Amino acid sequence: MILKIKRLTTQIFSTLLANLGNIGIKTGFCYPFFYCHACPAAIAGCPLGTIERGVYRGNFRWRLILYPLMIIGFIGIIYGRAVCGWMCPIGLLQRATGGVARKLRHQYAFIKKIGQHKIEKHLRYTKYLLLTGLVVGTTAILGFMFTDICPIGFLTGSVPILILSPGKFTENIFFYPAMIISILFIILILTVERGWCRYLCPVGAMLAPFNRISVFHIFVDKSRCIGCQRCSDVCPMGIDVPNMERDPECILCGKCIEACPYNVIEFKRN
Amino acid sequence: MKKIIAIQITIFVLTSGTLMGLFLYHNIYDEVQLKIVSVLCLSCIKLNPKTHIQFIFQTANHKAHPDFVLENLTKGPLFIYYTQDACHGCEIMDPIIKDVFNINFDKKSFFYKTVFLYNSNITFIHINLDHSPSEMTNSLFIYDKDHVGGVPMFVVVTLGYDFDVVKPYYTSAYGTLDLDTYEERKEALADMILDGIELYKQNQAGFRIEER
Repeated sequence: MILKIKRLTTQIFSTLLANLGNIGIKTGFCYPFFYCHACPAAIAGCPLGTIERGVYRGNFRWRLILYPLMIIGFIGIIYGRAVCGWMCPIGLLQRATGGVARKLRHQYAFIKKIGQHKIEKHLRYTKYLLLTGLVVGTTAILGFMFTDICPIGFLTGSVPILILSPGKFTENIFFYPAMIISILFIILILTVERGWCRYLCPVGAMLAPFNRISVFHIFVDKSRCIGCQRCSDVCPMGIDVPNMERDPECILCGKCIEACPYNVIEFKRN
Repeated sequence: MKKIIAIQITIFVLTSGTLMGLFLYHNIYDEVQLKIVSVLCLSCIKLNPKTHIQFIFQTANHKAHPDFVLENLTKGPLFIYYTQDACHGCEIMDPIIKDVFNINFDKKSFFYKTVFLYNSNITFIHINLDHSPSEMTNSLFIYDKDHVGGVPMFVVVTLGYDFDVVKPYYTSAYGTLDLDTYEERKEALADMILDGIELYKQNQAGFRIEER
C-alpha cells in the first residue's frame, strides 16, 4: 500500500512539474517521457518532436537527435523504464483508466482473450516500428511526422489550445485523422491496461532496452517462488513475472512486489 | 554481473559527457527553449490560427521595435516571413511568398532584399528561426500580435499616425492564413502588403527614427 501511495504521489508531482509552463516557465530540456510541448502548460520539449526536427527531410542535425536520446539514456541507465511507471503523465492517465480495463477484462471474455492471444507478444514490437518508421523514417524521407497525427499531441496540445482560445483556431488537414487516432487511443487504454505503453509508445520503445542493463530493476527469487501467479495477475503490463529477468516491458511499478505473499520479488540495485 | 556494471558505467559516462558537451559547446538548451518549446510548428498542432489583419502600434511583448526593422523602415514598409526547417505550413507558403515578391531564396537561410513592388520599395526579410541571428529570431515574439507563438508567421511593418507622432505600425498573419487555395492565400498576402504600402505613403513624411 505504501508503495502504491508513493508511486501515485510521484506521478502527480511529476505531472504538475511537467505543466509548470502554466506559470510561464519554459525550459530548454526535453521530457524523458511522452508529453507534448504544444501543451499550453508544457515546460520542456517532446523528445520525439525534437528528434523529428533533427532528422526532418534528411537534413540531419545531430545535436537535436543526440540531446533527447542522451537525456533518455542518462535516466534509462539508472532507472530503466521506471519513468513510464513513476513519472509519465500519460502513465498516470492510464493508471486512472486501468481499473476500467481490468473490470472489462473480467466481464468480457473476448477482451481477456485479446490480452492472452499468442500474437499479443508480437504486437509489443509495434512501438519499435513506430519509433523507427514513423518518428524517424517517414520524417527523414517524406517530411511526414508522427507529430502530425500524434494522439498525445492532440489530447494535450490541440484540445487544450482549442479550449483556452475559443474561436482563435480552425482545424487543419491533420486534425480529424489525429482525432480518430486519439479516440482509438482512448478505446485502447480503456480495454487493455497500459495498452499505449505495451504496444505503441515510441518513448517506451526508447526506454525499454535500458531495462536489460539499468541500475534499478525488479528481481524475482525463483528458488523461493511458489508459482501462485498473483504477481502476473496484477501486472499492468501483462508480464509473466515469475519467469521474467530484466524484462524490457517492465515499468517497475512494484505492483508485483506488493502482491507477492512470500516477498520473493523486490526492487534491486546493482 | 561485472559485465553489466561495466556497461552501466560506460553508458552513464557517455550520456552524461555528451549532455555536458551539448550544454557547454552547442547551446542546445537555448535552442530547444527558443525554437522548440516557445515556438510551435502550427501544422504540428493540427490547427490553423484565424487571421485578423489589423494594424496596431503596441508590440506583442511590449518591447521596442528591433533596430533592423527601424533602419529598413526608412526605405519603405517591411515584410517579415518567419519559418523553421521542420514546418509543413512553411512548405505550403514558400512558393506563394516567392511568387508574390518575385524572388528566390534558400529556405534554410536568413535572407533580405529590398524589392520594388506595387510602385513602392518594400524590404523582404526571411527569418528561418533555425539559421538566423538571435536578434532576428527574438523579433518573432515582438510581432506575435495574436500570441500564437508559431510559424509560419508573416508580418508587415509600416507607418501609422498616433497622437501627433508617426510610429511603426504592424500586423501579423499566421499559418496558411486559414485559406484553402494558392490563389486565395496569394491574394490575402497581396492585400496585406498593399495596406502596408498605402499606410506608409500616407505617413512617411512625418516619420523620424528618433520618435519611434
